[in-house]
Formats: sequence, C-alpha cells, structure tokens
Amino acid sequence: MGDRSAQAREEILDGLKSALQQQQALFRETVGRDLPDPPMTVFPPPEDRSLVESFAARLTALSGSCDVVRQDEDVAARVVHQIRQWVPTSADEPIEVLSWEAGELDVARLEQSLAEANITWFAPHELREQSVRDHAAALVVGLTGVTAAFANTGSIVLTPGPGRSRAAGLLPLHHLVLVPLSRLYPTFEAWLLVLRQQGRLEALVRDSGQIAFITGPSKSADIELNLTLGVHGPKVVHAIVFDDT
Amino acid sequence: MNIDVSAPYQQRVAQALSDHNLRTALERATSRLSGKRDVSVAAIELRELRNEARAIKEHAIRHLPELLQQLENNLIANGCQVHWAQTADEANAIVADIARQRGVRRAVKSKSMTTEEIHLNHALEDAGVGIVETDLGEYIIQLADEPPSHITAPVVHKRAEDISELFQRELGMRPTNDPAEMCAAARERLRGEFLAADMGISGCNFAIAETGTICIVTNEGNGRMATSMPPVYVAVMGIEKVVPRVEDALLLWQAVTRSATGQDVTVYFSLSSGPRRPGQPDGPEEMHIVLVDNGRSRIIERGYADTLLCVRCGACLNSCPVYREIGGHSYGQTAYSGPIGAVVTPLLAADPATAKDLPFASSLCGICREVCPVKIDLPRLLLDLRSDLTRVGTPPKYERSAIRAYTHVVERPGRYRWMLRLTRWLSRLLPTSRSGDITRFPPPLSAWTQSRVFPRFPSQSFRQLWHKRQNQPQRPSDNG
Repeated sequence: MGDRSAQAREEILDGLKSALQQQQALFRETVGRDLPDPPMTVFPPPEDRSLVESFAARLTALSGSCDVVRQDEDVAARVVHQIRQWVPTSADEPIEVLSWEAGELDVARLEQSLAEANITWFAPHELREQSVRDHAAALVVGLTGVTAAFANTGSIVLTPGPGRSRAAGLLPLHHLVLVPLSRLYPTFEAWLLVLRQQGRLEALVRDSGQIAFITGPSKSADIELNLTLGVHGPKVVHAIVFDDT
Repeated sequence: MNIDVSAPYQQRVAQALSDHNLRTALERATSRLSGKRDVSVAAIELRELRNEARAIKEHAIRHLPELLQQLENNLIANGCQVHWAQTADEANAIVADIARQRGVRRAVKSKSMTTEEIHLNHALEDAGVGIVETDLGEYIIQLADEPPSHITAPVVHKRAEDISELFQRELGMRPTNDPAEMCAAARERLRGEFLAADMGISGCNFAIAETGTICIVTNEGNGRMATSMPPVYVAVMGIEKVVPRVEDALLLWQAVTRSATGQDVTVYFSLSSGPRRPGQPDGPEEMHIVLVDNGRSRIIERGYADTLLCVRCGACLNSCPVYREIGGHSYGQTAYSGPIGAVVTPLLAADPATAKDLPFASSLCGICREVCPVKIDLPRLLLDLRSDLTRVGTPPKYERSAIRAYTHVVERPGRYRWMLRLTRWLSRLLPTSRSGDITRFPPPLSAWTQSRVFPRFPSQSFRQLWHKRQNQPQRPSDNG
C-alpha cells in the first residue's frame, strides 16, 4: 500500500465513523431486524421429484442437457459416447480433451476407457506459457467433475486445485460435467448449512482462490434481448449424473 | 441518432423523445425485462426475500468501518494487495500504477458500473494501456464510443441492425442480422483478447468480509475469464459493497438476478479470494483490490445512506414510466440512470448543479419503490433531494405574490367561481395543439408548459354540471 493509499484509508474510515455517528436514524425507514441467521432458502427445494430428476429438468430448461446413469451401467462408456458425439471423427482418429486429472473425477476405469476409444486428455499442471495456453484454447471439449451440484436450480460449483484447472470448464465450446450423486444437494442453502455446521465453509471459499457457481451454458441477451449461447464460456453444457454411493 | 450526453437536460430529453428507434428499442426491452422480473418473483416468498436482503444491506452499511477492516485483513491474509482511494482520480492512479509496475500493455475488463463512474478506461488509455470491454453489450458501446444507457443492459438503446453495421465496420463481420452470428464474431475477437491480456479488471457485486472474497455476477462468463486468465487481476469496488458472510452474498445474488432479468440465478457467480494457490494450473498470479469512496462517505453524512443499499439490479429503470420514454442517455454524463440514477448522480457529482434537473425527472408514481429488492424509498429520496436543491433562500417575489393572490381568490366561493369563468374564457386565447391541448402559458407559467401540455378547459365546469344534475329528475339507470 502506497503512502497516499494509507492516508486515504485513515481518512475514509474516520470519515465513515463520524458520518455514521452523526446520522442517528441512518435510513428513511428500517426493516428493524438484524442479519437473518441463516438466510432463507430463496427458491423452494424440489418436492414432488427426486433430486436427480429435478436437477436434470432444471439444467435442460436452461439449454443444457443431462444424462442419468443407472448403477449397473458403465459411466466411462457414456463419457466416451458423449465426446464422440460432439467431435464427429472416424473411430480411429484421436480426439484430445481439456480435462481435470483422472483422480479428480471419481469415475472407475475412466482413463482406460478413454484410451481404448482413442481419446487422449490434456490435464495441464501449468497454463502459464503461451504455447500451452494456445494448445488448451484450441480444444473443443472440456471434462470436469464438481465440488457440488444443486437440484432446484440445475447449478454446479467448480473449485480449482492441483489437477483441476479453471480452463477445463471455461475455455472449450463443450463442457462435460461429471456429477456424483453424493455431491448433489437440494439447494445452495442446504449445502451452505452443512458446510457451516461442519466448520468447513470459510476454508472452502478462501483456500482454492476461486469458487465458481455455474448454471447452464454461457449466455447473453444484449442484442435486442435475443438469447445467444456461448458468448465467452461453453456453449454446450452436458451433465452426467451417476451413483457413486 | 445519438443523444449528446453533454447537452442540457431539456435538449437531451427532446432528442430522446423524437428518436423513434430509441423509443421502440426501449419499449421492447423494458417491458420484457420487467415482465420477466414479475414472473420470477411471483415464484418465491418475495416479501421475505426483500426483508432479508434489506436487513443484510442495512447491517452492512451500519457496520461499514468494521466490515471494511475485516475484509481488508482477510484479503491480505489470502495473499491480495489492498488499496484505498478517496476519489475517482486516486482510484484511477492506483490501477494505472499497478499496470505500469507490471508492464501491462493490454487489459480486459468485465462489466462494472463503478469503473464507469470513475472513468477508468480513459485514465488507463492515457497511461498507454489498451483496455477492452468484454461484456458483449459493453463491448458494443465501446466500439461505438458511447456510454452505457442501462445498468444491466448497457446497449438497450441499439437495434440488431445498428449492431450488425458496427460489427461489419469494426470486426469485418459479413452482413447479417442474426444475433448468434454477431455473438460468434465477438466471441472470437474477445477470446484472443482474454488470452493475450496482461491484466484483468472487474468491479464487485459483493465482497465477503469473513472470507476476504470478491463476488462477480455475469451471464456470459467474462467475469470468470477476466478473473482467471490474465496474470494480474484488479477488482475495483465501491466501499458499500461489503457484506458480512458467505450466505449473505448468496442471498443477495439471487435477489439481484430475479430483479434484473427474472432468472433464478445468473449463469456465472465467481467468488475470488486471492491469487492462484501453489500447485494450481491457472488463475492470476497477483490479485489487487481497490476500495473506492468517491463521495460515498459524504452521502451518509448528507443523510442519503439509503442509496448505498442499492444492489444495481436495474429493476427501477425497467419499471419507470419516465426512463421507459427517455432512456439512459437523457440522464447525462453518468453511469447511473433511471430513478436510482436520478438520486445518486447529483449526490456523487463534483458539481451538483450539473445534475440538478434529474430529481425532477420523475412522476413520483412509486413503482420504483415497489420493485426494489432492498426496498429503497426512491420517491421519498427524490422529494428530499428536490427540497435540498431548492432550499437556497426564499422563493422569488412573483411566486410569493402569486400565492397571496391565489389565497385571496379561494377564500370566497363567489370569487373562486368568478375567477374560474374568467380563466376559462381567457384560456381560449392561448395557443393549442391539434388535439386541443394548451401548449403555452404566458410567463411566468410558461416554464411549466415548456415540457408539458395542459388539457383544454371543458365548456362547463364541474360545479355547473353538478348543479344541473341536482336539478334534473333522477333516472333509474343513474344508480347502476
């Protein structure tokens, strides 16, 4: 902090304190209550549907899509199928996806299945160098897991970490999200409550540098309120929900 | 046609009202946005949400000094650098300084009203830094070299055809009016900017004190790009944006989104708490936060703390019958238009005289108060500002004599009746429009008719009609 900044800090804080003291009735009217503890659940949790159905329905309504994999089905095969659908090449032609590391995805035998299908993955340790960035930016499919997902809004949370790049869920035009059932919550508020009670909320928010809530594909309505998808983030978001319990 | 935002208020309004395309664009956009908002809030416990959102913001403003210090401590503990600026110039100098130290040549910016307020773009350009707006709407008006005309929909005043023409000229896009194609052209150009930029800049929707976190709300993902891709990230925030807890930010985010666009939530909500951590593949290497006062403390001192509760959703703009007619540029050289802009602009202005007309740009109908997610009593604030702006000495002599004369007339029914008859007769001598409305009063009343018309006097007064009716035999249908 420079000298002027330190001085501005003192002036602002002192100014605020004296202004707040001067104004006894700070607002024209007041709701006359203190912080809600905990705040309300804004959007009611799904009642008549299972969490999975509700998540799928919400995401689909937001121009995303969702696959629910039964317990006896092969998750890895569904991943391969989806990637092949997005990148229509002949089966022996290799496809490269921008991905989190296999250990971050909770899917058994995923690495082998992708390798057998001639799909290689690029899970960078470092995206600082221009050549690496350019390489990552040219890929059209991103593959990630989730920190949490929410049934009543169709949202997911991504947190970066070793083996979990921000770029994988941000740069490619297609985003394939793997959602284990154990990470699906009815609402944001239910998730926050669990984390708060376990004393983990503060650490989760601060320690990874950034947490991102994502709800469907990137969109804009800036041109005469026409809905356009894929402005900066992915244009296509597909979730595969699977039972990991 | 472009509105000259530096022209006097009356001229700006006249330009806006005579621009047919602008009025079409405004009518389409505002009615659709406010309609979507109405549907969205009908699905939830709106009363409760407004009360809770309001309680959070009230708490934050009451405890502003403590919360700002807590925020600062936590940001520093997270590895961020915190800067304080009392004025717009100081804030701009801080950002320009960071750019200079890091050798920044190109910067990308996520949509931010605070950086519009302090004119950061000009300051950085003067310092030799190329700055690119990355919100699609903001990018469009940057190419067109215009200020935003709406808080959340900055390019609401332009038609698709206008934007297409601009993109053809500036981006070499092929002729098309398809929004998807225009969007793809912008994506391609801006993707290159994101990956090449040396610095990412954003505003701040909420800052969480307990964790030291800057929250950015976007639909396009430019917020997440600007806070993730460039090596240096700078967040510029007004000091009123701090909230105590994580839960508060989540609640306000949902309140803002529903009020602004009618979505349940926006597509992206990015919570940044510092530079990339060891072992992470990407993210900024440095994160700076610039805390900007720029008149906010003085707003509290002057008794207008209510305005600092605003979460910048734009619902008051979309519902305001005045904004819907005249649009954002009529409010002049300001980042904030509509009812909230009419209050905030004169309060933030270095010279309040430049914005003295704005508090009068309202019919005080009260719809802005009804739709506000934090229940700001905007009509009341507008009235208080009007009285502040006029309370400079006693009213002029003619006004006092006019009031005395009026009192004299209305004291006696006979005088009043006589005066009415005289006025009705005299009014026939005044110029009228084609529909018969009176277009000009003689001075000093002419000031009133400068921007209004007065309905023609009916041939019979209410008293005469009443009298006639009383003397007529009653017909049964009159009771229905």
